[in-house]
Amino acid sequence: MTVQVVTVYFKTEYTRKGVSMSKQKDGSRRELLKAAGAVALGLAATRALPTTKASAEEGVPRWAFIVDLRKCVGCRTCTVSCKSEFNVPLGRWRAVIKTVDWGTYPTNRRAFVPRLCNHCAGETGTEGQKIDVPPCVEKCPEAKSGTRAKFNGERYRTGATYKRPDGMILFDNSLCIGCYKCIKACPYGVRYIDPQVKLDKPNREAEFGIGKCTFCDHRVAQGIEPSCVQACPHGTRTFGDMNDPNSKVSKLIKEFNLDKNRDKTTLLAQEKTKPHVFYIDPEGILSRYKFDHKDQKKKAAEYRDRIV
Amino acid sequence: MSKITRRNFMKFAAASGAVLAASRGFESDALAGTIKTQTGKDFSPKTGMERKAIPSACWQCVSRDSMIGFVEDGRLVKLEGHPKSIRGAGHICARGQGGVTSVYDPDRILHPMMRTGPRGSGEWKRISWDEAISELTGRIKKLRDAGTPEKFLFHYGRMKASSGALIGGMIKATGTGSIGNHTGVCESAKWTAQEMTWGGHFDNWDIDHTKYMLIMGSNILETHTNHMSVAHRIMHAKVDRGVPMKTFDVRMSNTAAKSDEWIPIKQGTDMAVILAMTNVVLNKGLYKGAGEEFLKFCKCTEKFDDSTPNKIAALKKHYAEYTPAWASKISGVPASKIEQIATEFATTKPAVLIAYRGAVTNYNGCDCERARQVLSSLTGNVDAPGTNCKAVGAGWKSAKIPKTKTTKVKDIFDGAPKGQPESYPFPTHHASHQVLDRIKAKGPGTFDLALWYCYTPAFANGNHAGNIEILKDEKLLPFVVSSDTSYGDSTHYADMILPDATYLERFDWEDMVDPTQTGEYYIRQALVKPLGEARDFGDVMIEVCNRLGIETDYKTKEEYVQQSVDMTPGVKEAGGWEYMKKEGVWNGGKTHYFSYKEVILDPKKQVCKVGGSIYEDLKDPEAICAYFGDDVLYDQKAGVWWHWKASKAKSADEAQEKGYYGTKSAYKGYVATKLGDIAYKGFAPDKINKSGLMELWSQPLVDAGYNALPEWHPAPNQKNMGPDDMHLTTYKVCVQTHSRTQNNKWLTEIYPNNHAWINPKDATTRGIKDGDKIMVKSSIGEMESFAHVTENAQPGHIHISHHMGHWAYGRYASGKRSPVGVDDADDKNIHWTWHGSHPNQVIPNRGDRLSGFQRWNDTVVQVTKA
Repeated sequence: MTVQVVTVYFKTEYTRKGVSMSKQKDGSRRELLKAAGAVALGLAATRALPTTKASAEEGVPRWAFIVDLRKCVGCRTCTVSCKSEFNVPLGRWRAVIKTVDWGTYPTNRRAFVPRLCNHCAGETGTEGQKIDVPPCVEKCPEAKSGTRAKFNGERYRTGATYKRPDGMILFDNSLCIGCYKCIKACPYGVRYIDPQVKLDKPNREAEFGIGKCTFCDHRVAQGIEPSCVQACPHGTRTFGDMNDPNSKVSKLIKEFNLDKNRDKTTLLAQEKTKPHVFYIDPEGILSRYKFDHKDQKKKAAEYRDRIV
Repeated sequence: MSKITRRNFMKFAAASGAVLAASRGFESDALAGTIKTQTGKDFSPKTGMERKAIPSACWQCVSRDSMIGFVEDGRLVKLEGHPKSIRGAGHICARGQGGVTSVYDPDRILHPMMRTGPRGSGEWKRISWDEAISELTGRIKKLRDAGTPEKFLFHYGRMKASSGALIGGMIKATGTGSIGNHTGVCESAKWTAQEMTWGGHFDNWDIDHTKYMLIMGSNILETHTNHMSVAHRIMHAKVDRGVPMKTFDVRMSNTAAKSDEWIPIKQGTDMAVILAMTNVVLNKGLYKGAGEEFLKFCKCTEKFDDSTPNKIAALKKHYAEYTPAWASKISGVPASKIEQIATEFATTKPAVLIAYRGAVTNYNGCDCERARQVLSSLTGNVDAPGTNCKAVGAGWKSAKIPKTKTTKVKDIFDGAPKGQPESYPFPTHHASHQVLDRIKAKGPGTFDLALWYCYTPAFANGNHAGNIEILKDEKLLPFVVSSDTSYGDSTHYADMILPDATYLERFDWEDMVDPTQTGEYYIRQALVKPLGEARDFGDVMIEVCNRLGIETDYKTKEEYVQQSVDMTPGVKEAGGWEYMKKEGVWNGGKTHYFSYKEVILDPKKQVCKVGGSIYEDLKDPEAICAYFGDDVLYDQKAGVWWHWKASKAKSADEAQEKGYYGTKSAYKGYVATKLGDIAYKGFAPDKINKSGLMELWSQPLVDAGYNALPEWHPAPNQKNMGPDDMHLTTYKVCVQTHSRTQNNKWLTEIYPNNHAWINPKDATTRGIKDGDKIMVKSSIGEMESFAHVTENAQPGHIHISHHMGHWAYGRYASGKRSPVGVDDADDKNIHWTWHGSHPNQVIPNRGDRLSGFQRWNDTVVQVTKA
């Protein structure tokens, strides 16, 4: 069955200042349901929903992001689209392209590696590490200082930096104290100090808040792909629910064995952060892309987009 | 609050889908499973509220892709590709995405300005629009009254579709024909070659149906005349369909990087390799089949109706000397590689050969493209699905534009007068990059008034220092007006500046080439109102003409565009202006292939497109001239019926005597070409007298004293290169246009300056290390740069992009605020201090030997550590 419909993922909560999306939308949602209930039932009945996790039984998606390195031409449409979507200040990036060169003329090669926040799951049960949270959340002293919330039935708590049940690593600058431990903790260097966001917590340690890729949670909430996914002209980027076996990401994960081969399909797999950005990389480009992630300055400098 | 499980998601999805799908149908790939997500929408990350979506068209570069603009609280915040566009299929490039910052450029000019200090001092006063238009109108009127309207020079950089029709029309309505363009720095050699061979210019590569992609001197994945709409098709063909992609390039461009093979080739030698590949095709008999079939429509010898064996024999004779071994010595490409690629190209059908700027920016530019036409023809890869096709765009009707007879200043736009250095036999798209040099040569009094529109002559042409010297000379250019959006390197030397609306604040109908061979109709509409007092230059020219007593049916360009849209067949029936404003694009056309096979008269099949009854046969072509209309002649040499009165011939006798090839502008009266017993429309001519055949053998070239078939001529300035000499080549990167995006902060922070690429071998012999300051010296001057030592550079070459090195174009581009600059939230975040160095400082203005096209990549330089 190939019923084509439009997804609208309504948020159950919206943590940013003074907006409660769910309440605003609730009425219209019910009306929409009434209007086309028959179609909905027809579709739902045809879909099998095998689950592997408890949360999946509740229907919580697990977002994954797949980058097909065969298709990336280094055009920076993603980079600039992201700048525009969030009006990101100069010198800071939420998405970048890195160029990888190897070999000697005339058999030298050049390839491109798009990077963004990996929305890491954090490895379960690693010694000394909290279960199922990435280093940025683990090190954030305000990771649970927000409100109690539910996402599709699953409980969680918001914070300055927190993980939502659908896997998104989000931040809330109204709770941030400016300790920047998350920036130091992230081995990928994807977090930056945002000079446009002034912190107003009384006990803050610094003036400005932080920023990073959010998987465009505000677009995903409305059934729209992240900005960079829409922007990419070559179909390099695919975003979707890996808990849904029929999703495009699930099919790609299966086809290219991405989840079980993390050493070769994710960045810095040795850090055990369990990234949810996967790379389709038949040429082994990722293994040629190296940077010093232990050095704070080099790590940050690497997460910049610059063409020479 | 109800619990949202995935099962419920489906319900909501289906529910809202049913409603939304009825109103708009923008759908794309799935977030999950069979669920289609909606596109063409955007939401604020701060408030979650939906941003207002308005369809429009990009104009960051000439590709002009359809897009959606998103507005939040009256401010333009985001641009995305238009999902309904068959060209872009929902995509624009990085430059397109960065367009938002064109509107909010803190160095924008928002009021008309008049110079107060010496020219180039940067001292200005604000004036009113009434004063500005009075000044311009008064000066034009004075010239008209004196009977010398041609002393008004109009020169544009980018002016297309409705802007071209309206603004160009209004300029001509003032009586001047002294109009300069920019094609001479763009790709005119290619256009002239196409006019010599298959008539009108522009080829499209039918990527969606091709099985082989050969690219020569084209960085099409980063930048191109029709960039994104072709680029995304290339990558889908390569990865999803496994279509081979082979690229010859002087350096490792991103296009070369993504190809199955990068074949380095010495600067300016693409033609030699193409000639040798043709040699291989001829000697291996790879023309048999599709090639032979197409040769029927080709002129390969003096006789238009020669037999195919004769055509092959003539070509074999001409191409005998152009062996792979010969080309290998010139190009540095191994002979075996030339044979391999030639064989692959000729035997994997259909195939496209994308040859562009890199192949033609040299002494042999025009003939290189002619040679490309020979190779495509001989392999049958012309105007058929999956091949190099005659380009198709929208066919808008234009609302009425007042017309008048124009006069123009001679010997300004086409290079030097005949017999002098830098004179060209076929400058069909002019050599406007030499206009300033020509003005200097002619001396004071040539022009009284100059008006630039979207043009930066000081920066965009070769020899910066020479250009600036001329612009500063008030005797040579007594009064200069510049219409532009932002303060720039050339407006700096103007006398009056007219603040133009950006492309995001104005209306146009648009018509850029459609890679699907259909022809997409689309419009540009204002996403926000022009900032400050900025005004679309189209509106300004309408007012200027109205003040001169020239009546128009419209008072604004928006009205002109609306009237045009409402009278265009197809679009009109679909709902005209209101439909286009809502949807942005209309695609109701048919696909076009084999355009040359259109039959005008075929007695056997009783086809007659010229009226009257069918003549029994075409044995006596002269006898049937009357069928085609009054005053139609048949030319035996060309095999062409033509209407002599449309030409410059004064009488029928003169036309008969001089013939089709010998009569000036005879092509304007072209009717049909005889091929066997059929009269075909064929490849109709434009700008050059040619028949309806693909003219690989060119009579006009012979008549002008040149070679009939493509012929290799070593560049005179490269004959005696020493061991220390290097080739300087220029290029573009994916986040910049040539000269108009460098103050777009999101683009320039990715590429803020332009390091000179040099191979480690060349760097070592010169004692240069990565990042070192270097000097690059040519015959006209020297420039500073910084070295990027990389294996991606070819030994013997230095590669410097031509975007950066501005001196007055805003803080992000040049480090200098414009005289009217305002604060920007990002001022304190600028993270670069070197703004680059432009290679035009050392590149002279000179042209290809046939068309006069600027030889960007022919400069010989010496490189030393500074």
